[in-house]
Amino acid sequence: MGILRIGHASLRVMDMAAAVRHYENVLGMKKVMEDKHGNVYLKCWDEWDKFSLILTPSDRAGLNHVAYKVEREEDLDELQEKIEAYGISTTMLPEGTLPSTGRMLQFNLPSGHEMRLYAFKECVGTDVGNINPDPWPDDIRGAGAHWLDHCLLMCELNPETGVNKVAENTKFATEVLGFFLTEQVVVGPNGSIQAATWLARSSTPHDIAFVGGPRMGLHHIAFFLDDWHDILKAADVMAKNKVKIDVAPTRHGITRGQTIYFFDPSGNRNETFAGLGYLAQPDRPVVTWTEEHLGSGIFYHTGELVPSFTEVYT
Amino acid sequence: MVSKQTKKVFDGMKCNFYTGLTMFRATTQTFPVEVTNTGESYPCAKNENLLRGMVRLGRRGIPVGCINGGCGICKVRILSGEVEVVGPISRAHVSEEEEAEGITLACRVAPRSAVVLTVVGKMAKPFLALAAANGQGRLSTQSKGE
Repeated sequence: MGILRIGHASLRVMDMAAAVRHYENVLGMKKVMEDKHGNVYLKCWDEWDKFSLILTPSDRAGLNHVAYKVEREEDLDELQEKIEAYGISTTMLPEGTLPSTGRMLQFNLPSGHEMRLYAFKECVGTDVGNINPDPWPDDIRGAGAHWLDHCLLMCELNPETGVNKVAENTKFATEVLGFFLTEQVVVGPNGSIQAATWLARSSTPHDIAFVGGPRMGLHHIAFFLDDWHDILKAADVMAKNKVKIDVAPTRHGITRGQTIYFFDPSGNRNETFAGLGYLAQPDRPVVTWTEEHLGSGIFYHTGELVPSFTEVYT
Repeated sequence: MVSKQTKKVFDGMKCNFYTGLTMFRATTQTFPVEVTNTGESYPCAKNENLLRGMVRLGRRGIPVGCINGGCGICKVRILSGEVEVVGPISRAHVSEEEEAEGITLACRVAPRSAVVLTVVGKMAKPFLALAAANGQGRLSTQSKGE
């Protein structure tokens, strides 16, 4: 019941041909369709629903919306009631607003980011099928990402004016959307300010994350890889394709993820994220990172923050 | 061995060892790029954007982000010299009016002559970086830069 997982992200891109080349040749996604407005839809080989990424032509980069899939149609009605009761207005977009997708419950998180929930998207199957499947298909390209894994949204945080959209989003996501908190960064006097949070609905350490910044925006969308070896191969693929790598292969203390951060041709940050991390469960004690160990939480090996990683986003 | 004349060129451009190597290997024309904020100067090939040219040599001066025209952190004003736009520039960061005044993103223009520029990009610090910079228990929300 309720939210299952991240369903898709809709990103603005400034050069469609370059963007499609990037997501196909570097991430290994496949273009599944293009609509009459020039929006391009792509999926990863191990995903079974029709698409997980929408690229829309624009004069700027950034996130249009992020969508999560719920288990049942009735969940949409129940969640609409709950979200409205919380004081956030919603719109039920009719079936067909997006191709191959059922009705969508549209609303803005307290941070301002547009989120959509849907119960139906056309199931086209993974690239290995579901009858006696091989473990991987023969036509894997680039990093061969399995699936869109999570997103990290930058949320306005300014203690001087009392604005903390990280805390507001976290409260809303846990109380209304049914996410559970897995990890958090606390700063300020007695750790009283919740400056970043990682939340899950599935059994991975995060399906969404919120981090404080001067303005709202998209920090990254992340794609899943199996293990460390796949991360290193992905870095080779990026070098071959002259992709701007923001943070070379390393490990996060937070979530234990093995990672690379890099940019798509419009400057939207991508991550390849490997490893289960740990079994995330609602009753698992929340992991807390304090201000003085923040560097290790983000980049475990060096314990040092990378300026572009914390200061640059779209 | 470095000839006296070559050394003079190096000194004039504040070159380092790596810059020297790439100068010898260069098959395309380069132009000097000067960053007035820091006094840095580096050679940039005419087929390379100003930011990539700087990063490839391991030089600093212009803030580095996505190098793809989207994040806006490398916003600069071209004070003198000719540049050519080589890719789309996010309108979220450079308006048409600004572009007409010579403001652009360093990652989206290549040199067509010697270039002098000044960095105008704001480096507004996100909360996490501030927290880490300020250390335990002390927190401010000041932004660095303009």
